[in-house]
Amino acid sequence: MKHVKPVFYALLIVPAIVLLAFGPSSVAPVPRGRVIVDYWEKWTGTEGAQMKQIVDDFNNTAGREKNIFVRFVSTADIEQKTLVATAGGVPPDIAGLYDGNLDQYAAMGALMPLDDLAAHADPPITAQTYKPIYWEGCHYKNHLYALISTPADVALHYNVKLMRENAVALRAAGLDPDRPPRSIDELDQYSLALEHRNAQGNLDRAGYLPTVPGWYTNQTFFWFGASIWDAGREKFTLTDPAVLKAFDWVQSYSRRLGAKTITDFKSGLGGFDTPQNEFMAGQVVMEQQGPWMANFIYNQLPAMDGLKPGEIDDPSQPLAKRRARMDWAVAPFPSADPALHEVTYCAFDTLVIPVGARHPKEAFDFIAYINRQDVMEKLCNLHSKNSPLAKVSDAFLNHSKNPYIDVFEKLARSPNARILPQVPIWTEVDDELTNAIDRIALLKATPLEALTQAQERLQKHYDLFAARQRQREAERK
Amino acid sequence: MALSRSERHELAKGLAFISPWLIGFAAFTVLPIALSAYYSFNDYPMTRPPLYVGTANYVDLLHDSVFGKALFNTLYYAAVALPLAMITALSLAILLNSKVRGQMIYRTLIFLPSLVPAVASALIWLWLYNTKLGLINLLLHRIGISYSPPWLSDTAWAMPALILMSVWSVGNTVVIYLAALQDVPRELLEAAELDGAGVVGRIIHVTLPTISPVIFFNLIMAIIGTLQVFTIPAIMTQGKGSPDRSLYFFTMYLYDAAFRYVRMGQASAMAWVQLLIVLALTGIAFWSSKKWVHYQGK
Repeated sequence: MKHVKPVFYALLIVPAIVLLAFGPSSVAPVPRGRVIVDYWEKWTGTEGAQMKQIVDDFNNTAGREKNIFVRFVSTADIEQKTLVATAGGVPPDIAGLYDGNLDQYAAMGALMPLDDLAAHADPPITAQTYKPIYWEGCHYKNHLYALISTPADVALHYNVKLMRENAVALRAAGLDPDRPPRSIDELDQYSLALEHRNAQGNLDRAGYLPTVPGWYTNQTFFWFGASIWDAGREKFTLTDPAVLKAFDWVQSYSRRLGAKTITDFKSGLGGFDTPQNEFMAGQVVMEQQGPWMANFIYNQLPAMDGLKPGEIDDPSQPLAKRRARMDWAVAPFPSADPALHEVTYCAFDTLVIPVGARHPKEAFDFIAYINRQDVMEKLCNLHSKNSPLAKVSDAFLNHSKNPYIDVFEKLARSPNARILPQVPIWTEVDDELTNAIDRIALLKATPLEALTQAQERLQKHYDLFAARQRQREAERK
Repeated sequence: MALSRSERHELAKGLAFISPWLIGFAAFTVLPIALSAYYSFNDYPMTRPPLYVGTANYVDLLHDSVFGKALFNTLYYAAVALPLAMITALSLAILLNSKVRGQMIYRTLIFLPSLVPAVASALIWLWLYNTKLGLINLLLHRIGISYSPPWLSDTAWAMPALILMSVWSVGNTVVIYLAALQDVPRELLEAAELDGAGVVGRIIHVTLPTISPVIFFNLIMAIIGTLQVFTIPAIMTQGKGSPDRSLYFFTMYLYDAAFRYVRMGQASAMAWVQLLIVLALTGIAFWSSKKWVHYQGK
């Protein structure tokens, strides 16, 4: 009996230790002797798998040469997880953040400046490497904090087939069914002519709606030549006449159609990544979208690309031939002032190195690899996006999966290309704008009322943020 | 009184066995609570050291319109959803306690929604409430109501829709009531019946007083639960609380302040305000319980 207790304890403890030491592990094996670079990325699904392809390419080529192994982890809520891990002192070596996080995280000291690493890369990554708008977006207060994994910009996607089918109505309104609208006024006229109601009088097809899909409604002011942030004075300018005009235009659709008509219509729309997507289903004829739309159409509704069931798109065919069989097309989204050409919002996914990363140099080697022209074009082509780099190959321009990539490329080079205002409280700005637009679109407030309230709140929060930043700086000195 | 050697030995062994829990409780509950109290008096963006700001975080909340709206929404939801869920659960339990054919099937059906994960529930209800394609509006049309309420897209309808939905998951509460109802002494019910009490009279004068400790327990749990409502509205509105923040609740704002706006100091202050509100309401419930909760043997 004397030995029963120790044996009992041993039976409990030894298997536990063995399980902990040699039990199942979710971590994939890595080649011995390599420096492991942990890379957390926001993409899941197809886009995540495509990024994994690039990571595998690196691990099998440049990574092998440099003795680096990138461990790819695809995770939701990347920005929050990165922040908490960084605050806890165990950040990943690379994180794939959104453009809207960059200034906030840089201001909070969560990101490593990359200026030196970029300057000493082989070849150096400089302003000349990038298109100017994306290079600007990677900076905060004159320091480089990120490079880009994939970028995008926004353009008008329109349903060519429906335009042709409604040619009579369009012509009756004095509009050309063979081209997209070229100004906001024209967009409104096209929209009206393309609208359709069912026998019960309910809207069953919209020409255009500013809140569908609604991903860029917060940035509507770009197409009105306006800005909501005066960086020099550090003041929000939400109540500037041009900004008010932009959101009054958003509200004009609710006034004309009725707020309930629009919300009822929106509630009947299918999911984005499905063939019931409003644009693919023909419920909305014109929409603001990014270059990835080509991928989703190809995967979800190849018939809209003019492909027979089972037929595969051949990007080696001439662009004109591919475009001719498609039921959709892309053009710059029109602006309020017809003299303001090729306005777009340039969004981008970033690669950053959080402060406290264990292998910043090796992490940057991987980021630099992604920013090689051939690798970047491969990744952007997989995602059906344009390139952030200044140089693009003819093959990329003419034989991309996205037959309209040249439109997106041109827009990204436009002097009227815009990025999000570089405000370190952007998350809050975005939420306030979303709420203000909610009220505007539901006719609960005029643009002036909604934006005045947002302006006051945001300015107060920014001033407090800036004051505390200054106080911290003073204490540090 | 000093412990003997063997008692000390036993104590040491006992402590060693519960040490995983003790360490976990200290590290993941006591320490965060203490730190949140400290951070609530600081500006703390997590990646920088805390900066002492006194009571500024608390004062700012007083002037914060979004905080006011989130607090109002939470109290409004609690004020309506809590009694509605309590009454529904109790009524269902009383019905399920009666001897009818298929009693087990009814009990299972009532409990079943409680087994559905909150995320799945939220997605199911998003479709049920869909203005154009939802089953609820379809049924309304079938019974001759041509108006389609924009359940989740109009500020006037959003909160009632969410409150209505809260009734869906009363299964757990029903089971607790049901267990209590089975313990109501039969002799008391028979005595009341002999004294001429009807069904309603027996419920009011015998059943409810007898199960009042269980009602009280459910009330306390419901106060805590409704004041922390988060998952369902966060999923249904993608964290925005839209339209026009009509479904933006206290805990959603706390989460945004902490992890999206990275104002951990302000979020900590909000957490303490929330705790004080819960404490105050449960305190009122405890104070009032002297008048309506009857414990057996007292």
